[in-house]
Amino acid sequence: MPTLEVSGLTKYFGGLAAVNELDFHVRHGEMVGLIGPNGAGKTTVFNLMTGFLRPTKGKVVFKGKDVTSQKPHFIAETGIVRTFQATTLFSDFNVLKNIIAACYLKSKVRFWEATFHTSNSRKKEEHVLSRALEIMHFVGLDAVKDHPARRLPHGYKRILGIAVSMAADPQLLLLDEPLSGMNVEEADKAVALIRRIWERGTTILLIEHNMRAAMNLCQRIIVLEMGRKIAEGTPEEVRANEEVIQAYLGTGKHAT
Amino acid sequence: MNKRKLIKPLSYSVLIVALLLVPLLITQPYVLHILIMMAVNIGLASSLRFIATSGQFSLGHAGMVSIGAYTSALLVMKLGLSFWLAFPLSGLTAMCIAFLVGYPFVRLKGIYFTMVTLFFTEVIKLTAEQWRSLTGGVAGIIAIPRPNAIIIPGLLNANFASKADFYYLALMMVVFTLLILYAIESSRIGMTFLSIQQSEPLAESVGVNSSGFRVLAFSIGCFFAGLDGAFYCHYLSAIAPASFGFLLSINVFIYTVVGGMRRFSGPIMGAIILTLIPELARGVKEYEPFVFAGILLLVIFFLRGGVVSLPEKLSKIIKRRVAYA
Repeated sequence: MPTLEVSGLTKYFGGLAAVNELDFHVRHGEMVGLIGPNGAGKTTVFNLMTGFLRPTKGKVVFKGKDVTSQKPHFIAETGIVRTFQATTLFSDFNVLKNIIAACYLKSKVRFWEATFHTSNSRKKEEHVLSRALEIMHFVGLDAVKDHPARRLPHGYKRILGIAVSMAADPQLLLLDEPLSGMNVEEADKAVALIRRIWERGTTILLIEHNMRAAMNLCQRIIVLEMGRKIAEGTPEEVRANEEVIQAYLGTGKHAT
Repeated sequence: MNKRKLIKPLSYSVLIVALLLVPLLITQPYVLHILIMMAVNIGLASSLRFIATSGQFSLGHAGMVSIGAYTSALLVMKLGLSFWLAFPLSGLTAMCIAFLVGYPFVRLKGIYFTMVTLFFTEVIKLTAEQWRSLTGGVAGIIAIPRPNAIIIPGLLNANFASKADFYYLALMMVVFTLLILYAIESSRIGMTFLSIQQSEPLAESVGVNSSGFRVLAFSIGCFFAGLDGAFYCHYLSAIAPASFGFLLSINVFIYTVVGGMRRFSGPIMGAIILTLIPELARGVKEYEPFVFAGILLLVIFFLRGGVVSLPEKLSKIIKRRVAYA
C-alpha cells in the first residue's frame, strides 16, 4: 500500500498551469526521484504537498489521511517534512542550536512548564539535546558544532538543512535539490548521507538536477515537464524514454 | 566555577537592595518621578522587544497601554473595584484583546503587520475620543483614585500619598515584568519565537504553528503594556486619549532600537537613557521628537546593535588598534 498518494494535483498561477493533473504515489521505504527541466513544476509539487501552497484541484493522501490544503505545521506533524532549495536555516543560531530548535515537535510542553523550567520540561530538553547531538553526529557536522549557521560554507549549509529536517522526525522526507551548488566531493558525501538516511527507514522523495546522483540513488523516477508527468519508471527505463530525451535535449524541430 | 555561579545572583540582589533603598536616600519627588517613568518605559520597551523576538514589530503598544489605563480607571471608578484587582484585570483585558485581534493581524507579515498595529493604536485613540459616555471623550478621565492603601500595622503603611509608595509599586511591577519575560525568552518557547523570526517557512516545515506562536508573543507582550497603562493612570490620576497616540508607540519603539534589539538588556538601557535625556534637556522639551529621531538615526547608522553593543564594539576597535601597533 502506498504511503503517499497524489491524485489529480493541479495548480494554476493565473492562467498558467504550473502543475497539471499530476498522479503519482510513493510506497513505504522507497526512494523516488522527481526530475524534469527547469520550470517543470517540481518545487511547486513540494509546496503543494506540504501546505505552503494550496492546490487548485486534486488530493494529497498520506498514510490514508487526506492532508490536502492543511497547514504546513500540521503536515509536518503527520510525518511529511521538506527541505528548501535555497539555504534556508535559522541563520543566527549555531549548528547544534539549529537542530535543537528543529526538534520542536519532540519538545512540546505546556506553556507554564516551559516558562518556569519545571523538571518535566528540563527532562524533555535533555532528551532533545541528546537527540540533536545524535543527528549532528549522524550527518557529520560535529566539527562545526558551535559555528553560526550563516558563516558555514555552502556545502555544510545544505547538510545542516537536511539535519534540520531530520530533527522533525519525518516518515516521508522531501529533499529539494540537496546537491545543488556542491562540488564533486561534497556531492559524493551528500549522496552517501541521503542513502544512509534512507537505510534508516525514512521514505524519500527527491528533486535533483544532478542526473547521475538521482539515477544512482532512486529505485523509481518520475519525470515532469510543463507540470505534467511525461514518464515514470526505473532509472534505466526513464533514461531510454524518447519523450524524456526530447524534454531535456529538445526535438530539433524548433531549432533554427 | 562555583564562584562564577554566585556572582550573577549576588550582583542582582545588591542591585535590588540598592533600588529598594533609593527612596530613603533621595527624597526629591522630581527624581523619584523620573525613576518611576523609567520603570514604566522599561516595562513597555521590554515587552515590545519580546513581541519582536517572534519576528514582528508592533506599533500597537500605545493602544494597549490605553486599553489598560481606561480599563483600570473605569473598573475602579464605575464598578468600585479595588485597584489591586483592577490592576491585573487591565493587563488581562489588553491580553485578551491582543489575542482576538492577533489572529487576523498575524496573517500579515513584516511591515504590513506593523501598519495594522499602528492603525489599531489610532482606532483605540479615536474610540476613546468618541465614546464620551464611557471614556469622557477628548478631555479624558480625571480624579482617578490612588491605589487602595495597604496597611499592615507596625510593618507597612503604604497609602500612596507619596511618590515613594508609587516608586515601590513601579519597581515591583518592572521586576515582575522582566522576570516573566526573561523566563519565557530563555525557555523553549523563546527559542521557538527566535526560530520564527529567522525563518518562518523553515519553522513551519518542522512543525511549528507559527501563527499561534506569534499570537502568543503578541498577547503576552500586550499584557505587560496593559499593566503599565493601569499603573500609569493611577499614578498620574488623569488620562486623556492624546497621551496614548502614535507618538507613544514610536517612542517605545525608539527605546528598544536605541538600546538594542538583540539583547534582553537592550530595551532596559534604551528606556533608561531616553527617559533621562529629555529631563536633562528640559529647555528644549518641545523638540523631544527631533532629539529622539536624531539619536535613532545615529544608532541605526553607527551602532546597529544598539547601546548595549557599545562595549563589544569598542573592544573590537581597541583590539584592531593594538594589532596595528
